[in-house]
Parts: sequence; C-alpha cells; structure tokens
Amino acid sequence: MEDPPDVRPADRLSTLVDDVAAFGRRLRAEGLTVEPARLATFARAIALTSPEATYWVGRAVLVSRPADTPPYDRAFFAHYGAGFPTERTPMPRMVARVPDVALETPDGSASSTGTASVSPASRVEQLRYKRFELCTEEELARLGELMRELTWSMPPRRTRRRRSSRRGELDMARTLRRSMRPDGEAAGIQWHQRRLTPRRLVLLLDISGSMSAYSRALLIFAHAALSSDDGWEAFCFGTRLTRITGQLRTRTPDAALRAASEAVLDWDGGTRIGDAVKALVDGWGQTQVLRGAVVIVCSDGLDTGEPDLLAEQMDRLHRLSREVVWLNPLKGLVGYEPIAQGMAAAMPYIDLFATGDDLASLEALSQRLSAVRGRSRRPSH
Amino acid sequence: MTTSNVTPLRAPGFPDGISELDAALRQHSYIPDPGLSVALYLGLTMSRPILLEGAPGVGKTEVARTLSRMLGGPMIRLQCYEGIDASQALYEWDYARQMLQVRAWQQDNGNSGNSVAELYGPEFLLERPLLRAVRESGPRVLLIDELDRADDEFDAFLLEVLDDFGVTVPEIGRFTADEPPVVIITSNRTRELHDAIKRRCMYHWIDFPDVEREAQIIRLRAPGVDDELARSVAKAIAALRDMDLTKTPGATEAIDWARAMALLGASRAEGEAALATLGWVAKSREDMWKIRPMFDLPTG
Repeated sequence: MEDPPDVRPADRLSTLVDDVAAFGRRLRAEGLTVEPARLATFARAIALTSPEATYWVGRAVLVSRPADTPPYDRAFFAHYGAGFPTERTPMPRMVARVPDVALETPDGSASSTGTASVSPASRVEQLRYKRFELCTEEELARLGELMRELTWSMPPRRTRRRRSSRRGELDMARTLRRSMRPDGEAAGIQWHQRRLTPRRLVLLLDISGSMSAYSRALLIFAHAALSSDDGWEAFCFGTRLTRITGQLRTRTPDAALRAASEAVLDWDGGTRIGDAVKALVDGWGQTQVLRGAVVIVCSDGLDTGEPDLLAEQMDRLHRLSREVVWLNPLKGLVGYEPIAQGMAAAMPYIDLFATGDDLASLEALSQRLSAVRGRSRRPSH
Repeated sequence: MTTSNVTPLRAPGFPDGISELDAALRQHSYIPDPGLSVALYLGLTMSRPILLEGAPGVGKTEVARTLSRMLGGPMIRLQCYEGIDASQALYEWDYARQMLQVRAWQQDNGNSGNSVAELYGPEFLLERPLLRAVRESGPRVLLIDELDRADDEFDAFLLEVLDDFGVTVPEIGRFTADEPPVVIITSNRTRELHDAIKRRCMYHWIDFPDVEREAQIIRLRAPGVDDELARSVAKAIAALRDMDLTKTPGATEAIDWARAMALLGASRAEGEAALATLGWVAKSREDMWKIRPMFDLPTG
C-alpha cells in the first residue's frame, strides 16, 4: 500500500517490475490473494537476496497460510521453471493428506474415482451432492474428513457465572475491592456480565433396518461432529437406546465405528422411536445433557411403535431442549410428504425439518444452526 | 547488496547473508530449515515482523530465544490469552504507588513544589511488554506468543503498534523506538489472523523436521546422546508421526525421550528402554496403547 518500490536504474527496474507483475498474475490465476503491497515487498526482497533463495522469499512474503502453498508451488514452477534451484521441504501434512484419499480404489477398478483428469476440487463438489446411500467406502471416508471441516457453532446460552466487562451490570464486589487497595479512594466503577457458552449438541441416530443404507454415514457424521466439542453427546437407537459418545471419541473414524458397532446390539432391527426418545428423556433429561441443548434426530420416521407415545415423548424432548432438528433422508425424494404415522406424530414438535442425506445438506444445517443465535423461542425455564 | 531506502538492522553479530544467518543460528544451537533462514533474513533486513506457524512443539518460540542470544539482546515476551487488552500489553499506572506518594506528601504538608504532574511521571508507569520493547534500545527480540489465542480485536491494536513502534501515553507523551526491535509472532492456527497482520509479516510454516535434521537437533540439544541413539530416536519419532496419535510428538518430545533413554544407557530406541520411557513421547493412555506394540520384543 504505502510502500513505494525501490528506486533503481530505469532499465533494471522495468524488467524486474514486469517480471514480478507477471508472476503476480499467475499467482492470482491460481486463486491466491496477492495485494500490490505484497508484490512490492516481494520485489524488494528478491533484490536483497540471491536468486537461489527466490522460492523461499516468495513463500515468506506471498504465502501466509499452509493451504496456499500448493497453488504457490504451481505458480512458482510455472513461472520460474521446474529446474529452478530450491530446497523444498515436504508440505505440511495437514495439507498433503487431503487430496489423495479418494484416489485409491482397493479393487483396482478405474471407477468414478480413478480418472486423473478430474481435479480434486471438482471431485469434492461432486461428492458434496452425492446421496450417502450411493457412496462407496472410500467416498464415505473422504466425506468424513470433509465433515470434520464443517464448523458447528451452536447458538450460545448465558451461564450463571459472570465475567468482568466494559458494560453490563454493576460489579459491586469488585468495585469495593478495588477501592480498598488505595485505602478507600474511589477507584472507578467495575462492571460485569453473564458469560456466554455455546449450547450442547445431542445427536440421536436411527440405525434400524430401514435406515441401514445411511447408518454408516450417520456414524461418520456423528464422529466428525463430536470431534469439534468435548461436551457433545451421541446416542443411537433401533429398538433400544445406546449411548455411543465414548466409543465415538476415538480419534480415527474406523476405530470409532468398530467400537460403536460393538456397543450397539440392535443393528438393522425394527424401529421404536417413541421408546428411544422416552429412554433418552428419562435417562438424560434430569442431567445437563438435554436441557437447553440442540438435538438432532436422524431418522426416516418409519416407526413401528405407538404414534401417541412418540408424540408425547417428542413433546417432552421439545420442552427440555432448545432446538429439535429432524434430519430425514426420505425428505430428499421427490414427492415425499411426512405422512408416515410416526413422522406425522413428531412433526409438531420439530423446529427444523431437513434432509441430511448428503454433505451439502449438512453444511446448510450447520449454517442454519449458527444463525439461530439470539432468538428467544420460549422462556428458558 | 543493501539498497537505498531499506535501513537494515545492523547489530553486532548480525549476519550478512542468508547462509551466514543459517550458520549463526546453528552456532546458537538452532537448526533451521532452509525456508526459515530466508524468512528470518528478510524479516531482519527489511524490519518486518516474522510470523511463524506450525504444530505445537516444532520450536516456534525457540526461534525467538535463539535470535535474542544471537543478537545479544533481551527477549521480551508477550504471551497472548483470551481477553488480553491494551493495559496488559502496553502499560498501566501504578495506582497504589501513586496513592502512597500522595500520602507521603500529605505528611510533610506545606512543602509544596510537588505537583500532580509528578504523579504521572515515568516512575509510576508499569511497563508491559510492548511498551518495554519500544522504550528499550539496542538489539532486542519481541516475541508475541500464540497470537491466535487473543481476541481478533487485539490484532487491530497490535497492528497500530507494529506499524511505527510508537506508543502514546497521554500524561507523558509519545514514546517511539529509535530502532525497531525484531518481532516474532507465533500462532497455533486456532483462528486465522487478520489479513493486515499477515500482509505485514514474513510468513513461515515450521514443519516437523525430517529424520536427518531431527537427529542433528537431538545431538545438539541433548549432548549426552550419541549419534546412533539420536538417529534411532529420530526414526522412531518419524514413524510415530505417521501413526494417528492424539498428540503428535514434536521436537521437544524427541529431545526429552532421547535424553531419558541415554540416562538408562540405551543405545537404540527399542525394547525395554523404549517401553520404560514411553511417557516422554506418548501423552495419553490411548496413544500409549497404540505405540506399545511397536517396541514389544518378539519373544514377549
């Protein structure tokens, strides 16, 4: 911005400037944000150093986060030539790990993942709208990583504790304490305010027979979501409720899924949603787990239990929690109406009814939830 | 090859080129990767802050310590945390001391000549790291550690100070640094720093060292460790970093582990010595269980 370029002999200056400007265009074509000020710094920096340092000079000046390194490398070697002397260190692993997961097909078939012409970005784009039931194991694994990158910011709640702040209520205790130190001289009024904490997220996953095409994806989703906050909980149910929070706290998705499937005894059985919600509210409603939390139920709503029981229990759940979200994969199907008995019974107690059968819908959900913020739907007691 | 309007910092012991800087860092027990030397050199010669990012334990803070040793000046550290504000970073008035002074004046009353202005003199100023970095002269390193922990408003405030190294204290006046300090900013990437900060800084991502460099680092930092053990520890650590651990071991862990095994008289990172000292690399029970089989003896 305010940095004028160096004053140097006119001819040398113009070649340098042309060269740097051309490099800048290439970087921008690769998608990096390169402000004029940075290019000016870069020009000045290469004038200070020998040519073999140019690669690292650019890395220091033009790149400012790990994700920018690969595009920088492409632009650099396209502009200065691959034979340019550099000593490259391997890229940060968090960057390097991402693109190659979907490339391997264990059976060696060159299926949709085997085509090298598809760029990683567009493959992500395709995966984003692919329904979970149609995904291969590898794609699910890749999805798991993408889900981890989703930021789940829950609507905040006020806590009992206060913290000092510049506005808010009068903090009498601190004001007095402050004026003790200088022996009674008034030392200025202190203020404090209630602290805000993000609400808890509780996941309730249907793993019954009718949901079997989705259950793996749901567990991967739960694993990814739980990794973003310590207090979050996950339960799953078919005919009975199982808490799988502990199992899903394992770091790798594979180990987590294995542990979870050992804990759950009723895979692919029938569905009794009402009983499951009852067990959840009975068992956890008195604790801090459900009160004021955001509850996400993932189920197709095909219930074999009593609709009345489900309605009653959903009402309890709705009153205890802050938001009840219901993700129903069937909702994505053309012409679907929530008329299945169970679904119809639960509908009045749902704040947000969404699809949740592909990554895009989960992304939309995470954005919706973080937008809930200050709205007060009902008294908190 | 200095140029016209860049005023390079020329402290005694300041190296003249990238390879000289590299050598000087090594001489002061730090083994930089090639990119780091370039970023540091540019930061020093162009008087720009240097922003270092990387996983915990790769030696970000150590860079600042090494530079301060190299330049022969103090290291002034500003540790950032959530809610840090200007009074913790710049200065505060020593209110209690001012009150005492007033009481003392009251004792020998009538003895005027003591003006209120004196109460706001430099001796009542509690210097915090940023002001200290501005007021001190000579070579010095200002380390702004874990800036990502501070709230993002703090970035804007910092930008103002870093821009011209001037701090205004209304009651006294403006302090400006006659010669800017070397500024190292570190971040663990828990949030993205403000673009304007990044634009001003030389950036370098410190990656985990490769086996060769790791072995060198261990040798340098743990003098009691011989070459064979250092190499073997470096290899084992590299293998551990490829495992999916809760806490990926950094250089610090590698050094401690090597030192521990050297004390036990081991010559390689394997078998009983490795198992007994596993606590130096594995920092959680789950990790411990994952790593254990790597070192279990085949016989049992």
